[in-house]
Amino acid sequence: MQDQLSALLAQAAAELPALTTRPEFEAAKARYVGPHGALTALMKQMGALPKEQKPVAGKLINETKGQLQTQLDTALARIEAAEIAAQLGPAVDVTLPSPDAPPGTRHPLTLVRDELCSILRKAGFVIADGPEVETEYYCFDALNTPADHPARDAQDTFYLPDGVRFGNVAKKNPGEKYLLRTHTSSVQIRTMLAGKPPIRIVAPGRVYRRDTVDATHSANFHQIEGLYVDRGVTVRDLKALLDYIFASLLGPDTKVRFRPHYFGYTEPSFEVDLSARHLPKVNKEWVEICGCGMVDPLVFEGVGYDTDVWSGYAFGIGLERLAMMLYGIDDIRYFYQNDLRFLRQFS
Amino acid sequence: MKISRNWLQTYVDLTGRSADEISRAITFLGFEVEGVALTGAPKLEQLVVGEILTRAKHPNADKLSVCTVDIGPAGGVKTIVCGASNCDPGRRVPVALPGAVLPGNFTIKQSQIRGQLSDGMMCSAKELALSDEAAGLLVLDGSPALGTPINAVLPPGDTVFDIEITPNRPDCLGHLGVARELAAWFKQDLVYPEVHFTPEHADPAPRPDLLRALHVDAPEDCPLYTATVITGVKIGRSPAWLQQRLSAVGLRPVNNVVDAGNFVMLEYNQPVHAFDARKLSGQTILVRRAAPGEKITTLDKHERTLTADMLVIADAVKPVVIAGIMGGENSGVSADTTDLVLEVAHFRRQSVRATAKRLALASDSSYRYERGVDPHSLEEAMHRCIDLILATAGGTVAGPTLKAGGDVPWQREITVTPAFINERLGFTLPATEMQAALERLELETVRTDPTPDRGPAWTFAIPSWRDDLDRPIDLVEEVLRLHGSDQIPAAPVTAPALLAEDAPMVAFNRRVTDHLVNQGFNECITYTLRPAKEAAAWIAPAPAADLALANPFVEDQSHLRPTLIMGLLDALKLNRSRGTAASRLFETGRMFLGRDGQTWECAAVAFLIAEPPDKRSWLQREPADFSLAKHHMTVIAAAAGLDFSRQPSVPATAPGWQEGQAAAINDHAGHWAARFGLLNLTFVKSLGLEGKIYAGCFAILPEKIAAPAARRRYADFSLFPAALRDLALVVDAATPAADVQKALAKAARAAAGNSFAIESVTVFDLYQGKGLPEGKKSLAFSLVFRSSTRTLTDDEVNAVFAQIQKAITADGTLSVRA
Repeated sequence: MQDQLSALLAQAAAELPALTTRPEFEAAKARYVGPHGALTALMKQMGALPKEQKPVAGKLINETKGQLQTQLDTALARIEAAEIAAQLGPAVDVTLPSPDAPPGTRHPLTLVRDELCSILRKAGFVIADGPEVETEYYCFDALNTPADHPARDAQDTFYLPDGVRFGNVAKKNPGEKYLLRTHTSSVQIRTMLAGKPPIRIVAPGRVYRRDTVDATHSANFHQIEGLYVDRGVTVRDLKALLDYIFASLLGPDTKVRFRPHYFGYTEPSFEVDLSARHLPKVNKEWVEICGCGMVDPLVFEGVGYDTDVWSGYAFGIGLERLAMMLYGIDDIRYFYQNDLRFLRQFS
Repeated sequence: MKISRNWLQTYVDLTGRSADEISRAITFLGFEVEGVALTGAPKLEQLVVGEILTRAKHPNADKLSVCTVDIGPAGGVKTIVCGASNCDPGRRVPVALPGAVLPGNFTIKQSQIRGQLSDGMMCSAKELALSDEAAGLLVLDGSPALGTPINAVLPPGDTVFDIEITPNRPDCLGHLGVARELAAWFKQDLVYPEVHFTPEHADPAPRPDLLRALHVDAPEDCPLYTATVITGVKIGRSPAWLQQRLSAVGLRPVNNVVDAGNFVMLEYNQPVHAFDARKLSGQTILVRRAAPGEKITTLDKHERTLTADMLVIADAVKPVVIAGIMGGENSGVSADTTDLVLEVAHFRRQSVRATAKRLALASDSSYRYERGVDPHSLEEAMHRCIDLILATAGGTVAGPTLKAGGDVPWQREITVTPAFINERLGFTLPATEMQAALERLELETVRTDPTPDRGPAWTFAIPSWRDDLDRPIDLVEEVLRLHGSDQIPAAPVTAPALLAEDAPMVAFNRRVTDHLVNQGFNECITYTLRPAKEAAAWIAPAPAADLALANPFVEDQSHLRPTLIMGLLDALKLNRSRGTAASRLFETGRMFLGRDGQTWECAAVAFLIAEPPDKRSWLQREPADFSLAKHHMTVIAAAAGLDFSRQPSVPATAPGWQEGQAAAINDHAGHWAARFGLLNLTFVKSLGLEGKIYAGCFAILPEKIAAPAARRRYADFSLFPAALRDLALVVDAATPAADVQKALAKAARAAAGNSFAIESVTVFDLYQGKGLPEGKKSLAFSLVFRSSTRTLTDDEVNAVFAQIQKAITADGTLSVRA
């Protein structure tokens, strides 16, 4: 019996490593350890052995069975590995580029707008919105810009024909004209009329001027408007906010100064100049970046706010101008050409 | 506006202040300094007038001359070597003597030049920093005395500030106004011009033969008109000082009378006009409306045709001045003028502005009237101008000044307390500083009333030239200006939370942008204004008219855009033409739609996917198709709170889209609209673009963008297994899948009744071709059944499934595919 068992092991050792497929393996396994297999047949012979030989034979058979099982496990593991390898195919060249589109990009004006909005949201401002087609009331009258003011000239402002009706831009006065807003300040009026103080909004948006397009002028451009109405708002609060905005945007070496100026809808009014040592265009001299001021009492009266109770400030920043300064862009037209070599630089 | 430092110096002492210091003062007073220019000669020592006596060729140099030059009492005759070609005997030229320091820090010494002693230098204009003229010696006209210090001969050096006067401060359109501001800033006294003329100085005898009366027909536009007759003047050149004043600020000197008028205008911000009295017909000046079509040739030699709303100054037969704007050639002062009528008047700003605009004729005078002239300085300006004319042109004032209209009354007071000013500023200034600042601006304290807790209540009289000061807040600005707006102390941002939400539009844009950027789209920003023909091509021609601007600036930007896609196509084309591979672009912004005879401003998103025709890649991906466009559109709509899986798509019929390859999803209420799919190939080709371009454009009324939905309640769901059945249906090829799906879902619900739920009915296969009749297609659906209370048995599911098949095929329009 010992010889038979040895022969069986030798046969398995010769046959099993040559198997390549799972069916071959299953068939071989059946031939050795299956119900009709060779080892099973030898185990059945044990009953016929004399009683004293049985423990020895049993031990031998168990040893053989264990060795066979090891051989089978080895063969199976090898076949499974080959199967997985077949499933995977050859190794990839991990250095090949992805054939899919790379991530897209946000426009630089969007990036600057979002950055400003997020800076202002930290200071409690919420983002408001208003129409680009406006009426004379919201764009001019309510902002204390009298009817004969040059800004209202058809030379500077785009108007829509008299007969046009806008379904979702309500006129305040029946006779007034529709126009394309010349500044986002119109959102101040809509917000104040629609709500109650205190108010703290930032309104980014597109505005229009009848300008010749050149490196610094565009028929439409973008502004970001801020309005803060509360009790006891002061000039110092306004300065503090603008200091905060520009330090957040440009870093702690940024200096901000106020120069007195004139706007019809703020009193006092200021132009704001920046200087920042690390920015190429702004390191040597002051660069004008923003207009601002304390909301003129006439504007509050126009929207029915009690000027004895409420005060506030407003500011407006030109997005293109700011983006040009931040990124060092010298031609406003690049923003509107959308050359991908331009767009991809900012993400 | 140009402001001369020398001129300012006559009203306020700026001695010792640098140009930078004055610039800074002007800046912080609220006027932007756009430029600072130096004019005239700097202060030059040891430079005198000399006359060249002889000229001989330098023995050792071809291009040099040796001259003898007489500098008179300053040092007699000198020998000077000169390189200029115009050093001819008899000429008087500037001579720099040893010790002189020329501009550029060049010191003149006695020296040997090629073996010849030179005892100084004769100078060109450039060497004296007078101009860029370096070609020859500066030849001094008018035979100035030998030895005269050169500064006495040359125009004096001046610094000219070009400053932007804000519209609220017309008073600073005159030097006196700017000087007043600087005097307040530097805490100096303001010295007003000395005006000598008073009505008593006039010759009491009027000259009715020259001017008898004034008549103002339109007092609403001309509240005050004054005219003075001056006889016996002699027209000639103005004195040097007057010419220098005008030249420094960019005005060309004309003659003594015209220059005097211009000087007063630039001093007081009060336009003055002089006519030749003998050129007036009749003896009456009439301020009247122009006759329609009436013509006048103005001093700039252009003939102007007037309309009936324009105001003119006229004599008996003709208009002689367009009021407040420009005089006529027919009555101007000329070399032979002897008798003048001097006009100083007040015209309503709106009237001057309207006329100047209509005639496209702007002048220094109209600019000032439009911005605002102080009627209360009118008389003083008249007297000042008379002084100047009498001094420079001689003559006699004949009779009293004639006057039509009355003084516009002026009295304005503002009461303010230091507490109010401090509250508005947010920091504390001493009350004494505030009051002193306002008084330096000539706001006179007329009353001081004590208050219990707010400091003294000052009442200030506002000067007539400060029409911009009307309320206490206006005085806050004045105090801050003089304190220095660069001195506002820093402070922390105080920001109590408002707990408000951003506009829904903001979240919409953010979601859409996030999605598209993640999907490889590049954000573009394109112009809102587009050409007319494009608006007509993209939408039907009729509504395009509603998008037209009344006053476009350029022809190809005449209409509001009815889609964002055209701008993206422009961007695509630009990138392709530059060889930049662009395939996925998008924009968010406003677009404009017409509906029900009205135009609607919509928030919009558009995208396009344009694989380049020759796209090459080491690994091919599925090309873009209609379904990809639909997918992106579905995500965009979801960002606005819309579930497009529940909205029926219909074939898009709008121009611009390819028939049979594009869809529309429309809101019956008109709150939003979506178009997506393949762009019309012919149309795209006509734009010069090749290949298939898939696109989508979604528009929604901003006010209809849904705010975040209310919190949902949890709904129980079944833990029992689902039963699945597949069903293929054969239908006409033209039947929309959505219709079949809807009918099948309806039949399934009816068949299942209350016994269990139809969880979903979804299409998973579409087949057309071999094995199916011509014109038919097969749609395969997966049906999912589930009960919330038990595991379904095959038998009950089969029974319902059989019923469904029977019901769905009942009308014979479709059949179950075997």
